[in-house]
Amino acid sequence: MTIHATRRHLLQTAGLGLAAVPLMVARPSFAQSSGKTYKIALSNSYIGNKWRLEMENVFKAALAMDPFKTEVVGSIYNSGNDVSKQSQQMSNMIAERVDAIVIDAASPTALNGIIHQATSRGILVVSFDSGVTAPSAIKVNISQYDLGKGWAEWIVKQINGQGNVIMVTGVAGTEVDLDRNKGADSVWAQHPGIKVVNRFTGMWDSSTAERNTAAVLPSLPKIDAIWCQGGTDGVLKAFISANRPLPPTAGEAENGFRKMMLGIGGHTVTGYSAGSPPYLSLMALELARRILNGTYPKKNIDVPNVFLSNADLKLGVNVFADQPDSFFDDFTAGGPTSPVDICAQAAIDGSACTDQKLIINLPAA
Amino acid sequence: MPIPETILAASGPRRSRLSHALTQNIGLALVVALLVACIILYCGLYIATQHRLPGGYELTSTLNNTMPLAFAALAQTLVVLTRGIDLSVGGVIDLTNAVAALTLMGGPVSTTIWTIAILGIGALCGLLNGVLVAVGRLQPILVTLSTLSIFQGIAIKILPQPGGAMPPGFTGVLANPNVPLSLIYIPLIGILWAIFRRTRLGVSVFAIGNDAMAASSHGISVKRTTILAYMLGGVASACAGLFLAANATAGDATTGDTYTLTSIVAAVLGGVSLFGGRGSGLGALFGAFVTVMVVNILFFAHIDPLYQTFYEGLFLLAAVIAANVIGQIVRRRR
Amino acid sequence: MTIAAVEAVDIGKAYGGVAALTKASFTAQAGEVHALVGENGAGKSTLIKIMGGRVRPDSGEIRIGGQAVSLNGPQAAHHLGAWTVFQELTLLPWMTVAENLLLQQEPRSSLGLISRQATLRDADALLARYGVMHIDPRALVEDISLAERQTVEIVRAVSHAPKILFLDEPTSSLVEREVEWLFGQIRRLREQGCSIVFTSHRWAEIRSIADRITIFRGGADVGTFTDIDEDEAVRLMTGRRVEALYPPLTPRPAAAPVMLEARSLSGPNLRQVSFALHQGEVLGVGGLAGHGHRELFRTVFGDAHASGGTLTVQGKEKKFRSPRAAIASGIALVPEDRKTEGLLLRMSVRDNASLAILKRLTRFGILKPQEERRAAQHVVDSLRVRTAGIGLAVGALSGGNQQKVLLGRWLETECQILLLYDVTRGVDVATKHEIYELVASLARSGHAILFYSSDAEELAHLCHRVLVMREGVVAAELHAPGITAEDIVSAAVRDHRAA
Ligand SMILES: Nc1ncnc2c1ncn2[C@@H]1O[C@H](COP(=O)(O)OP(=O)(O)OP(=O)(O)O)[C@@H](O)[C@H]1O
Ligand SMILES: [Mg+2]
Repeated sequence: MTIHATRRHLLQTAGLGLAAVPLMVARPSFAQSSGKTYKIALSNSYIGNKWRLEMENVFKAALAMDPFKTEVVGSIYNSGNDVSKQSQQMSNMIAERVDAIVIDAASPTALNGIIHQATSRGILVVSFDSGVTAPSAIKVNISQYDLGKGWAEWIVKQINGQGNVIMVTGVAGTEVDLDRNKGADSVWAQHPGIKVVNRFTGMWDSSTAERNTAAVLPSLPKIDAIWCQGGTDGVLKAFISANRPLPPTAGEAENGFRKMMLGIGGHTVTGYSAGSPPYLSLMALELARRILNGTYPKKNIDVPNVFLSNADLKLGVNVFADQPDSFFDDFTAGGPTSPVDICAQAAIDGSACTDQKLIINLPAA
Repeated sequence: MPIPETILAASGPRRSRLSHALTQNIGLALVVALLVACIILYCGLYIATQHRLPGGYELTSTLNNTMPLAFAALAQTLVVLTRGIDLSVGGVIDLTNAVAALTLMGGPVSTTIWTIAILGIGALCGLLNGVLVAVGRLQPILVTLSTLSIFQGIAIKILPQPGGAMPPGFTGVLANPNVPLSLIYIPLIGILWAIFRRTRLGVSVFAIGNDAMAASSHGISVKRTTILAYMLGGVASACAGLFLAANATAGDATTGDTYTLTSIVAAVLGGVSLFGGRGSGLGALFGAFVTVMVVNILFFAHIDPLYQTFYEGLFLLAAVIAANVIGQIVRRRR
Repeated sequence: MTIAAVEAVDIGKAYGGVAALTKASFTAQAGEVHALVGENGAGKSTLIKIMGGRVRPDSGEIRIGGQAVSLNGPQAAHHLGAWTVFQELTLLPWMTVAENLLLQQEPRSSLGLISRQATLRDADALLARYGVMHIDPRALVEDISLAERQTVEIVRAVSHAPKILFLDEPTSSLVEREVEWLFGQIRRLREQGCSIVFTSHRWAEIRSIADRITIFRGGADVGTFTDIDEDEAVRLMTGRRVEALYPPLTPRPAAAPVMLEARSLSGPNLRQVSFALHQGEVLGVGGLAGHGHRELFRTVFGDAHASGGTLTVQGKEKKFRSPRAAIASGIALVPEDRKTEGLLLRMSVRDNASLAILKRLTRFGILKPQEERRAAQHVVDSLRVRTAGIGLAVGALSGGNQQKVLLGRWLETECQILLLYDVTRGVDVATKHEIYELVASLARSGHAILFYSSDAEELAHLCHRVLVMREGVVAAELHAPGITAEDIVSAAVRDHRAA
C-alpha cells in the first residue's frame, strides 16, 4: 500500500520537480510504521522478463498477506543490470537500517563489497536466483544440477535408455546453464544408448528457441526426446510447424508447455515440467523473517525441485488457459504441504490473495 | 612605435572576467548547480524519512560507488572532446576488472606492479582505438563498437567465472568502506584535469575537437593528438576498472558493460558537447555524481519499483533540457 | 632584387579528375606586395593553400629564397618564415581569442604548464601592439564578428614577423577603416622587406596597395603586370568585357507600400532603430563593422530577440521567435558567414540550393528529384556557379562560388522581403556585376531589399537610400541620387574623427 500511495503521488506531481518533495515526505515511511517488527528490502537487478516480474509480484503480494503484513515492512528496488546502481541502492538500504536485504544479484561477485558492509553492520543478507559468492550472505536456491539431471533421468526412463535426444541449452556463460548441462551430461554418461544428436542454445526464450530449432530440425534424424532448459513451448512449436511428431519433452515451467501437456490447442505432448520457481523470492523472504525472529537457524537452504508430469497438471491450479504462453506456472508449488502455495492473482499483478492463505514451508531446520 | 593608420581601436569595451568565465563555463556551472540541488533534495528526503542527517556512511558509500563512473566519464570526455565517442569504455573496464581479479592477490609490491600494468593495459586498448580512428580513418563509433566486443570477449576468456579477492590494502586505498577516503580523489582529478588543460596535448585535444582542419593548419598533429586522447581515455577506463574491483572486492568480467552508456550520460550532464571541443573533465565528474544522486533520491522517494527507471529517465531528460535552455538563455543575453 | 623571395613554378593540382590548377606560376620579390586576381574558382586559394603547406601540389615547384622546397605541412612553411591567412578562416570557434592568438606558442609557467594569465597578457599585448584593442582576448571566437575574426587571424600571422605573408581575400569581410588598418600593416611589413601575396576581388584596393598583379584564369596565370586598368584586367580574367559594373538605379515608385517597418527597435548593440522599407526599394545599411548591422539583421530575421520596439511586416505587427517564423512571413536572409551560418559544407550543391524551398519541392513530404535538380541547376546557371556538377559537395567549391550557392538558394524562395547581408563578399567582378543586376531586377519586380555591404562603393551605387549605423544607432540617412562612398564613410566615422 505504501507503494501505491507513492506511485499515485508521483504521477500526480510528475513534472513539478521540487514541488513533489512535500508530498513524498508526507507519505508513511519505515520509521513511522513502528508497529511492525522488521524492515526487509528486496534488491533486484534486471526486471525485463516475465520470470522476474512474477518473482517481484509474488513478493509484493506476500508483503500484503500474513504473516508479513503484520510483521514486515518491505520495499522493492530494481537496478537493471547495473551493478554500481544495485550497490548504491544496497548502501541506501544499509543507511535506512533495514533488518534484512533479499537480493537477486546482477553479478555473483561485484556486490561482495557492499554485502560485506551490510553483514558487518548486522544486516542479514539473503541471496536467491542469481547467487552471490560472498560467504556472509545466506543463499536460497534450487540445485540447477539436479534440475538438469532430473529432466535427463525422466527421459531415460521414457525411452528406455535408447534413442536420439536434442538438448536446447540456455544463456551460455552463466552458471545456471553450465550446471543444468552438467546434470544432464552426468546422466547421459551412464546411458550409452542415448545419443545427443544436437545441442544448441534457446537463450531461455521461446521465440529464440523456436527459431533455432526450426533452423536445425531439417538436418536431424527422428528425435525420441527433447531436453530443454527454457523456451520449451517454442521448441515444440517448431516441431509442429515441421510436421514432426512431438516426442517426450522435459522442460521448464512455461504455461505454453504445460498447456500442450494438457492438449490445449490441439497437440498433446508427454512432458515433464520443472524450473527455477519465481517463488524463490518468497522462500528468501520467509527465511529472512524466520532467522530474524529466531525460529530458524542461519543457514543456506536448498529448495527442492518440483517436477510435474501430465497427470499432475490441473487447469487453474498449475496451468492457466487464460495466461500467455510465456507465463511461468511455477510461481506456486501448489498445495499446503508444498514449499509455497500462493494464488495466481499474486503472480499476475502483485495483489494479495483474497480466498487463500499464503503458505511457505521452509525445509525442516 | 605604431604608425597612426595602423591603429584601428586604441581601447575597447571589455566584459568582466567573471562574466566571461560564467558564460564560457556555463555547462560546468549548471552541473554544479544541479548537483547542489540534488544533494539538497536528497538530504531533504533523507531527513524526512530517516529523521536524521545523512552521515559518514552515506558519504563514503556514495563516493565509493561513484568513483568508477567518475573515471569512466572522464575517459569518455577525453575522447568526446576530440569529436569522437568511445563505446569501448565498458569493454576496457571489463577487461581491466578481470585482470585485476586474476592478478591482485599478493602483497603490496606485487599489487602495485600489477596496478600499473593494468593501467598499461588500458593505455594499450586506447592505443588500438586511437590508431584505428586516426590512422585507419575509421568512424570512432564503429571502431569502438568493435573493440568493445573484442575487449569483452578477452575479459570473459580470461575470467570466465567471476571471482578473485582484492587485497584489503588495495580496497582500503581505492574504496575504503569505513572512511570517506575517496574524497581526496575529487580534488586530485580536478588538479590532474587542470594540468592536462594546461599542457600542449590538452590544448590540442580541444583544438582538434573544435576544427581538425584548422588545428592542423596551425601545426597540430591530428593523428598524434587523437591517439593520445584515446590512450589517456583507456587509462582512465582502467582506473574505473580498478576502482570497480576495489569496491566490489572481487572481479567480474561483465560488470563494466553498463559504463559505456552511463559514462556518456554523465559526460553530457557535465556539459561536454558530443560535437567535440567543448566541456571539461570536472563537469563529467560532477555529472557522474549527479547520476548517482538521482539513484539515491529515487530510493528515498520510495517509488514503485516498476517506475524507478521511468523516473530516472525523466529526471535525466529534464536535467539535460533545462541545462540546454539555461545555457542558451545565458548565451543570448550577453 | 635578383633572388625572388617566393616563387611558384608551373604548379598543377587536380581534385578527383577536376583540375583546380593546371600550370600556375608567379614570382614575388622581397619588399613587394603582389596581388593574385582572377574569377571565382580560378584557383587562387588552391595556390595559396599549396604555398602555405596545407595542400600538396601534383606537379610544379615552390621556391623560397631561390631554393626549391617541399612543404609537407603548414609548420614546414612556418619554419621558412612563410605565414598564411587562409580564405576559410582557421580560428577555433570554442576557444578564446587569446588561446587562438597564441596557439602552439603558449607562454609557460615555471612548472612548464601553459599559463592562462600569461596567455591573456601576451594576447592583450599583441592586440595593443597592432592597435585592435576593440577585440576582447577573453571572448570566444564564436562570439566575435567575422571582421574581428579576420582581424585576429591577420594579427596572428603578422605577429610572427613573417618573411613571406600570404593573405587570401583578407579584406572581403572588412570595411573601409579596417582595410586601411590592414594596409597600414602591409606597408609596414613591406618596408621591413617582407613579401606579401594577397588576393582580392576589389579593384580599388588592388590598385592602391599592390606593386604587381598576376592574373589567373582557369587554373593558370595569364600574365603579371605593374600597371593595368580594370577593364583590361577583367577581360583577361573572364575572357570577355564587363561594360558598366553597376546597373543604373531605377527610381522606386513614389507611392509604393511599406513592406517592412521597424520602430525604435532596441536590443544588444541596437538602439532605437527605425526605418521603413518599401516595395521595390533597395535600402542600404552601412557603417563600420560591429556597429549593430549584424544585430539588426538578426533581429529582423527572428534570430535575436529585440528588447524593445516593434516590427511591422506588410502592415501587421510581428514578433518573430525564430527564423522559421520570419520565413513564414516572407522574409529571407542571406547571412555573412557561409561556413557556419548558411551552408552545409558536406552536402551537395543540389541539396544546399534546394534547402530553402524544400516545401515547394516536396509532395506529401517526399522530395521530387527532377524538380530539385531543375531548381539547383537554375541557381547554378543564373549565377554562373563554377562547379563540376550539382552533385559536388559545396565545401569543394571555391569561396566565391559557395557564396553564390548561398545567395541563389534564397533567391529561389518566394520571399518578398530579402535581407542581403554582405552577399558580394568574396565574389569576383563579373559575378558581382551579375548580382547587382539581379538585385536591381528583384527590386524592379517588387521585392523589398535590405542590403548591407562592407563595400561603401557598392552601397552608393545600388541603393535608393542608405542608413549609416554607428554604435547601434542610425547616424545618418542618405538619399539617392548623389550618394557617394565618401559620404557613407564620413557619416560612419564622424565621431572617431572628432575624437
Ligand atoms: N577540395 C576540393 N575538392 C574538389 N574541388 C576543389 C576542392 N578545392 C577546390 N576545388 C576546385 O578548384 C577550383 C579552384 O578553387 P579555388 O578555391 O582555388 O578558387 P579561387 O580562385 O580561390 O576562387 P574564389 O575567388 O571564389 O575564392 C574550383 O573549381 C573548386 O571547385
Ligand atoms: Mg578563394
